[in-house]
Amino acid sequence: MNRILKAGVAALGLAIISTGALAADWAPPGPIKMMIAFRAGGGADTQARLIAEALEAQMGWKFIPEQVTGKGGVNLLATMKDQPNDGTVIGIVVTESVGYNLAAANAGITPADFIGISTTAGFQMGIVSLSSKGWTTFADVVAAAKGGQEIRFGVMSPKLADLAYLLGKAQGVDFNIVSVKGGKAVMNGVNAGDLDIGFMAGIQAKGVAAGDLVNLASGLSTPLNQTPDAPTLADLGVSFNSDGYFVFVGPAGIPADARDALAQAIAGVVSDETTKAGGIIKKAFGGSATITGDALTTLMANDYSDAGALMDAAGE
Amino acid sequence: MGVLDYIWLGILSVFQGPELFSLFGLPVSVTLVMILCGFLLGIAVGATPGLAGPIAMAIALPILISVFGYHQDALLPVMGFLIGIMKGATIGGAVPAILFNTPGTPDAYMTTLDGYPMTQKGQAKKALRVAHFSSASGDTFSDIVLIVCAPFLALLVEAYLDLPEKTALLILSLSFISAVIGGSPAKGLISAGLGLLAVYIGTGEDFYPRLSLGTSQLSQGFPIATAVLGVLIIGSVFKGLEELWHEKRQSGQISVIKDKGDQRLRFAEIRRLFPFIARSAVIGTAIGALPGIGSTLAATLGYTVGKGRYQRLKAEDDPEFGTGVPEGIAATEAANSSVSGANLIPVLSLGIPGNAAAVFLILAAESIGGFNPGPSVFRFTADTVNPELVVAFGLFTAMFIANGLNWTIGGVFMRSMGVMIRIPKHILLPIVLLLTLTAIYVQETRMAAIWFALAFGVLGYFMRALAISPLPFVIAFILGGKLEESARQAFAATGGDAFFLFTSPVALVFMLMSVGVVVFTAIRSKGSEQSS
Repeated sequence: MNRILKAGVAALGLAIISTGALAADWAPPGPIKMMIAFRAGGGADTQARLIAEALEAQMGWKFIPEQVTGKGGVNLLATMKDQPNDGTVIGIVVTESVGYNLAAANAGITPADFIGISTTAGFQMGIVSLSSKGWTTFADVVAAAKGGQEIRFGVMSPKLADLAYLLGKAQGVDFNIVSVKGGKAVMNGVNAGDLDIGFMAGIQAKGVAAGDLVNLASGLSTPLNQTPDAPTLADLGVSFNSDGYFVFVGPAGIPADARDALAQAIAGVVSDETTKAGGIIKKAFGGSATITGDALTTLMANDYSDAGALMDAAGE
Repeated sequence: MGVLDYIWLGILSVFQGPELFSLFGLPVSVTLVMILCGFLLGIAVGATPGLAGPIAMAIALPILISVFGYHQDALLPVMGFLIGIMKGATIGGAVPAILFNTPGTPDAYMTTLDGYPMTQKGQAKKALRVAHFSSASGDTFSDIVLIVCAPFLALLVEAYLDLPEKTALLILSLSFISAVIGGSPAKGLISAGLGLLAVYIGTGEDFYPRLSLGTSQLSQGFPIATAVLGVLIIGSVFKGLEELWHEKRQSGQISVIKDKGDQRLRFAEIRRLFPFIARSAVIGTAIGALPGIGSTLAATLGYTVGKGRYQRLKAEDDPEFGTGVPEGIAATEAANSSVSGANLIPVLSLGIPGNAAAVFLILAAESIGGFNPGPSVFRFTADTVNPELVVAFGLFTAMFIANGLNWTIGGVFMRSMGVMIRIPKHILLPIVLLLTLTAIYVQETRMAAIWFALAFGVLGYFMRALAISPLPFVIAFILGGKLEESARQAFAATGGDAFFLFTSPVALVFMLMSVGVVVFTAIRSKGSEQSS
């Protein structure tokens, strides 16, 4: 047993070293264009630029960040599709862009046109309200809605709008679902009283800690780190969830050594909390989540194929 | 912890922050130096046609953050620098507007109407003095209102304006601007309509890029810098080049304007200007406090109100507004400068920006952390220290320091800018064009942006040639996205009520006013045509 274990460890070590060596051999043939699907200056944009900065310092690679915003990341994917696939073009989107949004856009592109490199952080998606509303859990919102109160539900993407609709349907109430641009806008709307509740993907952490905001439910398949007692969407009768990540992708056909080298470098930076990028991720999302390789390919493909089921359910 | 303790802590946080160097044994905090640097950069940027505060802030923010890092000590130096740029650029923006008829920022457009004619009359230095005095006065007034009202006013405004009312308010702003600018409501509506058409290309909630004719370049829409800088600056450069060409053909040489007459600003003149400055400062401050409406509307309103007052009071043989009267400059500059302080009321108490400059302050706070603009900022805690409130008072202190610099260094700098009139236009215009295109490329980093900007420049040229004001175009472009968004949201929030603009009394009043202002101006301009 012991010997097998030792052999196993040795083999594993060898495997790591060899991929490491293989990855280390790869160097980009020129400067890397980093496309960013988020508005310049926002939290997600800052994250991407800091990762580029850290990689420039650590690896000596040269990055050219470029904003390609709009249509929930679909604009970026459409632009990236025909770019060189030698590792000199990468882009950061959310898994929802490659999944639900590509499926909904119906623009003739699929996840197979891209290759996932690495995720950086997962969302802590909660359904949030001001604590001054007096609601402590989602059941209170449902009770208020059944009592005749109109509930405005802020969402920041079509997928979340579908989820909000299904959530109302499962609970037997009608929400007034209001689409706004970005999580920050949901938070502003909730703070200003224009919205009653809304999806927030981690931005609410400080407000919840201060007691101004309250996580009424988790939008994920799992409970929230910050408010583990809040019910999940499954608890509330919705069989879909908003699990998602920030993810670096490239055009399909990037050679394996380039993909591995990029993935290793990015994952190394974001999981190191002493780097600026790692620090900001720790602050906003409670830590990094790095999914790479085949696991990421599967994740992206599933997100895309599940989208149809969600749209059908919401379309009923 | 009383209110006074918080104010004192805020002031100390600026003066006793991390020490940069010591002067005669006195430590000089890094925040002070950063405010000064930001202010000087702001004036230089504002005075450079084609550059504006938000562009400088956008370029500076990533650099500052990588220098200062992500801890709370970085908040005041970085935000102080940005506040310095914001204030410096507002005052500097009047320089190219007065000297070269090319507004550096959209809100300085109205300054050109009387500023440039004064320059042509050889009164450039005096025009600059009027602009500086009005600007600094408006700024001071606005800062005082900010500090007194920040905690209360924005909360009140926000409490009474729901999504349908906000939509109606945006419609009212657009219709007001279309009606009053340029004298002809029809031309104003054409200009605003073109602006809305341009901003709705490629945008919207749907995944399909609308109006993009199937091209990938249009599917991302037009970047805001290309439309605003293209129509306002490149358009006026084209028009300037054309005028230069005509002038050269007629006279064989390019004229250089010499200073003529008294360039000083006398106390009696200040007394005459003061009522205009006071009204505009109140208008600018009130508009600044409303989330989402920027300094351009304030400048327009200030100018219009000033014009009305001037025409009622002027003697028979006094010159008209628009022919180079100092009151026109004073009314505009006081209004657009008084927006910046009040603009921080919704920023600090609700986290909602009122203009582009405020957007970058919020971004700085968000990126650095430790300061969450929102209702929690103004919580006066008795037993423990609320660090965010200390930062808020630190920011107020920074604004007053920048204001002090405005009164002192700002004036000297603007007067020294008077020499720039000696630069011949045939050298300056190409430089402006180059700087503008560079600024656009710095922001957008794709060649398509340059082509868009040049196309908007051609549009701006033709609008000027046909005497259509480009300003409604620009404001419609800036507000168009917000208008669509809030209309969609109001529609959804009211549960799909198609008449959401007419069901609440406040929104209904706004809508009636929107129609009324166009009809009223049309009747009046028709009447004045017939009488003449």
